[in-house]
Amino acid sequence: MTRAFVFTNHKGGVGKSTSATNIALGMVSLLRHSKAPNHRVLIVDTDSQGHATLVTTGRRDFGPQDSLYAALMAEREQAAQTLLGCIVASQWDADLHVAPASPLLEGAERELMGVAGAPYRLADALSRIANQYAAIVIDTRPSFSLLTEMALLAATDAIVPVEPRYLETVGLTSVIQKINDIRDGWRHPTLRVSGLLVTKMNGRIRGHNHLLAQLKAHPLLGPLLLGVIPANEAVSYAHRNHQSLFSYDPRASASKAYAQVVASLVRYLAKEGV
Amino acid sequence: MPRPNDSAQRIDDLLASVTGDLMGEFPQMSPDNTIRVERILLELVRPDPVQPRRVLPESIHLRFHANHVTPTQALRELVQIVQIAARQRGRPFASLLELLPNSDDEREDELAVSLSPEETLLRDLVNLAITIRDDGQVNPLTVVDASQGVTRLYRIETGERRYWATWLLRDFIPGYSGDGMIPCIIIPANWSSVFRQAKENTARSGLTAVALARQAALLLLTVHGYEIPAYAVSNDFYRQALELDLRGKREHTDAVLSAMGGIQRGQFSHIKLLLKLSDEALELADRHAIEEGKLRYVVNVAPEYHAEIVRQIIDFNLSAKQVKEICEGDGLHEQKSADDDISPSAVKVAKVTQTISLTTPQELARAMMRQEGDASIARARLQAMRKLFSEAERYLSDE
Repeated sequence: MTRAFVFTNHKGGVGKSTSATNIALGMVSLLRHSKAPNHRVLIVDTDSQGHATLVTTGRRDFGPQDSLYAALMAEREQAAQTLLGCIVASQWDADLHVAPASPLLEGAERELMGVAGAPYRLADALSRIANQYAAIVIDTRPSFSLLTEMALLAATDAIVPVEPRYLETVGLTSVIQKINDIRDGWRHPTLRVSGLLVTKMNGRIRGHNHLLAQLKAHPLLGPLLLGVIPANEAVSYAHRNHQSLFSYDPRASASKAYAQVVASLVRYLAKEGV
Repeated sequence: MPRPNDSAQRIDDLLASVTGDLMGEFPQMSPDNTIRVERILLELVRPDPVQPRRVLPESIHLRFHANHVTPTQALRELVQIVQIAARQRGRPFASLLELLPNSDDEREDELAVSLSPEETLLRDLVNLAITIRDDGQVNPLTVVDASQGVTRLYRIETGERRYWATWLLRDFIPGYSGDGMIPCIIIPANWSSVFRQAKENTARSGLTAVALARQAALLLLTVHGYEIPAYAVSNDFYRQALELDLRGKREHTDAVLSAMGGIQRGQFSHIKLLLKLSDEALELADRHAIEEGKLRYVVNVAPEYHAEIVRQIIDFNLSAKQVKEICEGDGLHEQKSADDDISPSAVKVAKVTQTISLTTPQELARAMMRQEGDASIARARLQAMRKLFSEAERYLSDE
């Protein structure tokens, strides 16, 4: 079964898109390096801002026919085929595929609001093409909207990027509660929180260190700590150049931290038989 | 300004709120394929679009099942309709709770008589919602597991009123403390049955004659092998049953009549014929729960008069006898259609055209000779026939 990792937190600016894109690319490279039979990874960008789409494809002109919007609005029977038709190869790596976002996704939420089974539209389409990929990475918008629900229902593993600050930690508990609601209410028992990713960590700030220590010591959250990504200027420069962090500055501290996260996730995939 | 230690304490408290049950450390749901009772999120449950017993008014019903409105929006539309009706009758209300009967109100009996169907519906739903709020939902809905692939969906077989009452309670009535779930008896998709649904409907009071007619149609269509769609249908779908009957379906006759509440075959036929009513008349008759005994006379008059007569039944509370007198009066019967003017000989000739492939020219020539006894007369007959066919063909082209 292909694992689908959703990067979610309804707090904005915590590094969801940065983490989703760089980790997806890292997985492609590491799977290829380890000669995995399938090393293609798909990024699904459900955020209407389309930041993950922009940095990985260099484009922001996806519209009603060639973006995720088309797949979400298609009839159930055609949805998987429509999704396949929308997917493009990333300019970062030919084996990194992108289901691109469009600003129209904002309207899709309104259009689908009363439609029976709407929250499952992404899950249904993805479930029928998932076997073509070693893993799927889903980037979400910073809100608990219908699209975020769709992303959670399509995922098997939730990874929660969180900044080591008080309000962001409030967000973390809300996300865990939301995932619990989805699992219980929407009958998706296999969804679980598989990782916490502390981002923008600044070791010189006492509060950051305290929170990190508390997270590590927590009996349930501690074992889920997937990695700690330091605050690093290279991230914004990489974005500006539409490059991955690994290619922009492989020696940057954030690149090294992301590489460790990628290694953990690939080990996890290997256990699952990819 | 909070001290750093306070902030640390708050974070500690926050993290302490993350417990095992939130992290998915509980048994997974049963993959059982038999009947089971579970609590299901309201959003996963949908009413059956072809359920003969309608809860919402027709226009809202169709918009809801066409996915144009959410359950909350559908109820809001109903509330707005009732608010307008109530204002026009001089008893506006600001809160839904005001719709409930008040023991201090001396005019209670008078009001009960003059409530519009929508007011009655909403008042009943509010009443049910308050019962659910105060006493809990004791009686689960019966739903059919209509999940497709990973898409989870449950279609209501019985309990649509409780479904709408729960939405009303959740979104319109103060004091809801539930978690958005509703208890349901889940039936596997292959156990779904229009017969069981029909029995449930007829076993309860309040099933209108029009709903019974729709139910009769569904049963007939089912036993004749028609596929029952999973989306809202127009009255024309049910009207297909007007062409069908129980003859030739003897093995299903008892089951159908039993599902209709143990009625006689003749009564079944009368009920089915109500589908001849025009759309507007059907909706009015359904909303106002007009009895079959009155409507059976209306179906005999021209369709353009149906709605008007039904309106008169409602406005003047006409008895069956009065309806009969009105309907059997002059001028309301359907005009003889052009079809009724066709001569029997034309019908015979038309029938002959259907069997033309069963004969050969030689056989026809011999038969003509035997019939006419003279080749010239036989030829003249055939030429006349040819001329008749040419003109009929030209007529059809012009048509």
